[in-house]
Amino acid sequence: MAEAVATSASLGAAPIARTVDEWLAEAAAHEQAGRLEEAEAVVAQVIAAKPDYAPGLHQAAVLSHKRGRAPEAIARLEQALRLAPDVALFHRNICELYRGQKRLDEAFAHGRRAVELTPDDASANYNLGVIQYDRMEVDEAIRLARRALALEPGMAGAHFELAEALLLDGQFAEGWEEYEWRFSLPNSPQLLPHKDKPQWDGKPMPDGTLLLIGDQGFGDTIQFCRYVAEVAKLCPNIVMACSSEMWPVVKQQSGLAGHFDRWENVPAFEAYCPLSGLPRLFGTDLSNIPAPVPYVRADKARVAHWRARLGQLVPRGYRTIGITWAGRPTHGNDFNRSMRLETLAPLGALEDTALVSLQMGPAVAQVADWRAAAPLINLGAEIGDFADTMAILEVLDHVVAVDTSVVHLAGAMGRPVSVLLPFAPDWRWLRERTDSPWYPTLRLFRQSANGDWAGPVARVAAGLATRA
Amino acid sequence: MNMVPNDLCACGSRLRALRCCQLDARTLGPASASRHLLPLVDEAIACHTRGAFAEAERLCLEVLELAPGQGGALAVLFQIRKAQGARPAAEALVRRLVALDPNNIWATQELALLLFGKGDLAEGEVHARNAVRTAPTDPQSHNLLGMILTEANRPQVGEFHYRKALELLGQRQPILLANLAWNLKNQGRMAEARALYEESVALAPTILQTLLGWARMEETDRDFARADALLDDAEKVAPGHPSILLHRAIVRGRAKDYDAALALLDQLEGMNQSGGLGTNELLEKGRLLDKMGRFDEAFAAFDAGKRKNVELSGAVYMAEHAAQLAGRLKAYFTAQRLRIVPRAKPVESGPRPIFILGFPRSGTTMVEQTLSAHPKVSAGDELTLVHDIANLMPRMLNSPLAYPEALADLWMGDQSEGLDNLRDHYLQRVRQMGVVEPGKSRFTDKMPLNETHMGLIALMFPDAPLIHVLRHPLDIVLSVYSNHLTHGFYCANQLETIARHYLLVMDLVEHYRREMALKYLAVRYEDIVDDQETHVKRILTFADLPFDRKCLRFHENKRYARTASYAQVTEKLYDASRYRYRQYLKHLKPVIPLLEPAIARLGYRIDG
Repeated sequence: MAEAVATSASLGAAPIARTVDEWLAEAAAHEQAGRLEEAEAVVAQVIAAKPDYAPGLHQAAVLSHKRGRAPEAIARLEQALRLAPDVALFHRNICELYRGQKRLDEAFAHGRRAVELTPDDASANYNLGVIQYDRMEVDEAIRLARRALALEPGMAGAHFELAEALLLDGQFAEGWEEYEWRFSLPNSPQLLPHKDKPQWDGKPMPDGTLLLIGDQGFGDTIQFCRYVAEVAKLCPNIVMACSSEMWPVVKQQSGLAGHFDRWENVPAFEAYCPLSGLPRLFGTDLSNIPAPVPYVRADKARVAHWRARLGQLVPRGYRTIGITWAGRPTHGNDFNRSMRLETLAPLGALEDTALVSLQMGPAVAQVADWRAAAPLINLGAEIGDFADTMAILEVLDHVVAVDTSVVHLAGAMGRPVSVLLPFAPDWRWLRERTDSPWYPTLRLFRQSANGDWAGPVARVAAGLATRA
Repeated sequence: MNMVPNDLCACGSRLRALRCCQLDARTLGPASASRHLLPLVDEAIACHTRGAFAEAERLCLEVLELAPGQGGALAVLFQIRKAQGARPAAEALVRRLVALDPNNIWATQELALLLFGKGDLAEGEVHARNAVRTAPTDPQSHNLLGMILTEANRPQVGEFHYRKALELLGQRQPILLANLAWNLKNQGRMAEARALYEESVALAPTILQTLLGWARMEETDRDFARADALLDDAEKVAPGHPSILLHRAIVRGRAKDYDAALALLDQLEGMNQSGGLGTNELLEKGRLLDKMGRFDEAFAAFDAGKRKNVELSGAVYMAEHAAQLAGRLKAYFTAQRLRIVPRAKPVESGPRPIFILGFPRSGTTMVEQTLSAHPKVSAGDELTLVHDIANLMPRMLNSPLAYPEALADLWMGDQSEGLDNLRDHYLQRVRQMGVVEPGKSRFTDKMPLNETHMGLIALMFPDAPLIHVLRHPLDIVLSVYSNHLTHGFYCANQLETIARHYLLVMDLVEHYRREMALKYLAVRYEDIVDDQETHVKRILTFADLPFDRKCLRFHENKRYARTASYAQVTEKLYDASRYRYRQYLKHLKPVIPLLEPAIARLGYRIDG
């Protein structure tokens, strides 16, 4: 392929006849070096000069994707596919792009085509599996992850995908084993700053110190710290490393000798274990999930403070319903689990009800647009830490929340929560059921189709209206 | 001395600028240094007394050129300019007199009166208070403060000073009685007002202003026949006086006789040689035309009225000032800071406030009338107290900073209860003003644009309901444009500045809602018109009040609200008040692009 492309002098050099692939190589070099603007300048010239050259369009699409311009990436790749409909790589990549834009049907079609064209491509199988999970075709997701792993046994992403699908399906034993691959995922943070200590094997450790690590998010820490008391029966000396925000939760767990949020303060230890590794070590299965709620309790003085504060803010005789509608925006699945506040509008029609926002982070800005009949009190503005949140949860009559740490906290406290779940939820919420074996006081309200919050929100609102 | 006309001061005093508004007071010698000029001053005074004004003026200019601080010459020249209607010159001269001698009670009173006439109530009040300080036993000082406070919507305090003036005077002076009557009318105390008017007119039957004020009082009390009869009396006193026509037009308009009202205004316009109708007349005309469905003509009248107002008052929107205040409020009121700011404790005993917030003309008066029809609620009307407290705050918190930064002093050991003190000050003033009727446990504060200070309100009254009245932004802009209002940094004179100030205030509200936990309820004016019972119930329960059917018949509420809205709220809810903007879309076009995003965010549409 040696077609010459005439380019303008704007590229910084006198017009020289170079081949398309040479130009693309230069763009790739820019891209590798992180000079995305320069890469784009070259690529844009190439596709302008050779709009029918599919590899050029593909490279341009990849660049658009890296520059965070999803619609442009999709348009470029769609054009490449019109020119070269049978290139598996194009299908594989556009599948991911569509998935990122929540265009699941298109993602699915291209993912399937990629696997048809290259049945032995582990990545194509893996990608399609991820989409099958999103489509809640869990058996297929498991089959495709296994197929990817048969082709490429060390593919961490496929192991993790398999873990999530198995756990979602309630197949815990194998699920926990596969779940251990989470620390091998690309971009996953290192659990420990050094690797000279063994991971705990779950056996009694009467001497020596065990370091538990609050890995993953706040929700995971809250969910799995229920095991701490059990661990303490095996290991009398436990310390815990976790972010300081979690201290009000973890320090309530019996058997902890200390908690730290900086590695340099962590005392010497003999073995470590991530909190999220404890269910595996304890052989947790659907039948024996420990749910000793409440295993987290609010501080009495704080409860008194927040009871008084809510007494000021909530009209007399109003029922209080806590709400959160968005998680941490950096969470990988945030676009699925979070909603816009206005989606909760049916709750705004509840009579004699005040909604109490526990929302934190940038989504708080949306409270300014709430003008429904039920007033919304932006209590998040006064929340300092999780000890405050716990005290407020103790006072509230009910909570309606998407899958965030508030759900875990309220669940661990044994408080009533209506949880709004996306169509393909996190594995811990299992399939179809309306209850959670992890948290007996939760009721789960699931989307019946991807992105359709209206259904579950209406069901929650109807339930609350009849109980009023 | 070669006088070059170009050197003359722009104020119109006919003094040179360096001897007038550009005078450096430090260069003035002691009064004794100009004693050799006293014969000239005496001559000027004598000339002025016998009506030789040109000669008096010449002498004053001569003296002041040599001794620009000479009090006697300044005083004579001031009186000449005042009589000529040269307002800026008169103001500059009397200001100089007061600056040179703050104890000059006559000059202080003149300055206060002049500022009152100009509508600058805030500064007028400063000087009127000085007059009371300097001459506490002078009835005129109290009369002036009474006038200013009455117009500044603090009639209860105004009443105190009128009564003081009467007491000091030791006689029933008819003009003072009429002033007090007008004050009581503003407090809705119609019977007392009527008695005073009767007394005043019995003593002095031919004072036009008294008859006009009384007619307005009767019109407010919906006795249109009596108002007409009083205007007939006025006609005998001052046949063909333009003010009588205007008052008649207003009475006819309220009696829904729009054609007659309009004819009267046209007649007024025809007889007035000096530049046609004034601001109030033009706006009244516009509102009449609007009611008659003659929308283009109505808008033209609003336009003309507003232009006239700018021409006369020179009032322009203080955009920079408003933006600066908003910026400082947003910088201070942040969730992070407020987490460590102590709140005032809730009011434990005595009446508690309900804040009705909203842009002028958004329906706050209607919501107040609704609430104050409740047996537990008194109407506080437009209380300026939040604004006053913002001004007083540096002193009360002993802070070198201004509001809102002065709130930083709440972190001082000796100011940690500062917000309780501010709150108590507010409540004490409410008591003093007699806002709360016996047996009522709540009162409303519906000062428009109080939402600008929603953060401060929530700190002082952490449990007070904040009821924010919303209305279609285009209806608000149109209605503000068709009424004479000084709220909102003088934004009301142009469509665009109204829109800009509206956006600024709504942005602040959104900021407070993001940064603070507020007991806030948004209520739409249109919803109340649409489904009154549902929304009134909602407001009442939000404010911890049991439902009372009287609130649905608020137009029967005998209380007279003192604002531009009163004529509407004494009528039943009517549908025509919603979406009036539709008749004026082409006139509102210039501000639609500005307001479009806000309209959409509030859930309104623009329909043709």
